[in-house]
Amino acid sequence: MAHIPDGILSAPVLIGGGLLAAGGVALAVRGLDDRAIPRTAILSAAFFAGSLIAVPMGPTSIHLLLSGLMGIMLGAGAFAAVLVALALQVLLFGFGGLTTLGVNTVNIALPGVLFGMALGPAICEARAPALRALLAGAVGALSVLGTGALVALSLALSGSEYTPVASVLVATYLPLALGEAFVTATIVAFLARVQPDALRPALP
Amino acid sequence: MRRRAAALLFLIFGLAVPAQAHKLKVFATVEGTSVAGYAFFIGGGRPHGTPWTAKDSSGEIAGGTTDAEGRFAFTLPPAGAAGDVTVTVDTREGHIASATLSAARLGGSAAPATAMAVRTAAPTPATTDITAAVEAAVQRQVEPLLERIEELDARLRVTDIVSGIFLILGLGGMALWARGRRR
Repeated sequence: MAHIPDGILSAPVLIGGGLLAAGGVALAVRGLDDRAIPRTAILSAAFFAGSLIAVPMGPTSIHLLLSGLMGIMLGAGAFAAVLVALALQVLLFGFGGLTTLGVNTVNIALPGVLFGMALGPAICEARAPALRALLAGAVGALSVLGTGALVALSLALSGSEYTPVASVLVATYLPLALGEAFVTATIVAFLARVQPDALRPALP
Repeated sequence: MRRRAAALLFLIFGLAVPAQAHKLKVFATVEGTSVAGYAFFIGGGRPHGTPWTAKDSSGEIAGGTTDAEGRFAFTLPPAGAAGDVTVTVDTREGHIASATLSAARLGGSAAPATAMAVRTAAPTPATTDITAAVEAAVQRQVEPLLERIEELDARLRVTDIVSGIFLILGLGGMALWARGRRR
């Protein structure tokens, strides 16, 4: 679903996605310091393995993206984490495509980075665990919905015959958003208890 | 503490990884003039009620939606297909896959018949019947093999997953080392 294969998108979309991804990754690499490198690697590995687990769901099968969690924990560093994991997924398993690497990276990472940066500080400040879990869940769910919207947009902009149908998108992305919200909230609640600093992309 | 959190993450994914994966594939076989097959997700699951189309070089020759087991079937046009036939399944939310049946496979029943025609001048109805019967029998025997090959081809190997994870961690280590050297 977020892994768009080769040969479907048009050249302008591929190039635009590639440029956006390059910008995002440049931003991520600039922020990579001794603290960020292991965190980025661990989350990249988690995303790599996590998005291989797919659950059959009616007309399709869905898998976790963890993009909200990456956005909260890494900020812009999520671009690098997603790019590396997607590159390995296409090389090892043929998921997605080499030409669509840029578009897929943006589709998955961008919503997570935006929502993570917007709500991340509030999650760190939150005193009540329930509020924190709620905010984290919102980041997870919104990131997934944002990814769905971006995937649909890239297919629609390509003007291909494969433009997604809104009803199918809603039917597949809503359950995924709920699952993602639950997973993100659980992990964030756990981290806030044992290692609150892990939730900050950069230490103040 | 952070290490413990990471270990927990790995445990969660480590336990679940071999279960499922995520990529749409199409499997199709030819028997005489009918084509049948199904779409499947690597690791499990079939797309239900998903539109599919079959095209040859002259355009669309068949289409429809898959059944509850992700299956589709159609008959080739009486005049035969023009060139290769490609069956495409589109779940309409970003998953698209296709399988191409080469013209050689599609002509399977026609080619031996003409070859025989050269030898026997006029094929009796009996020989064409035998050809069709052999064709069907071979197809029946070979189909599970083809399915199995497709499955093996598409399998997620645990070694690949593990090497992917450690490649990422290795990249992290290399980045740390490079930063340490620069200082």
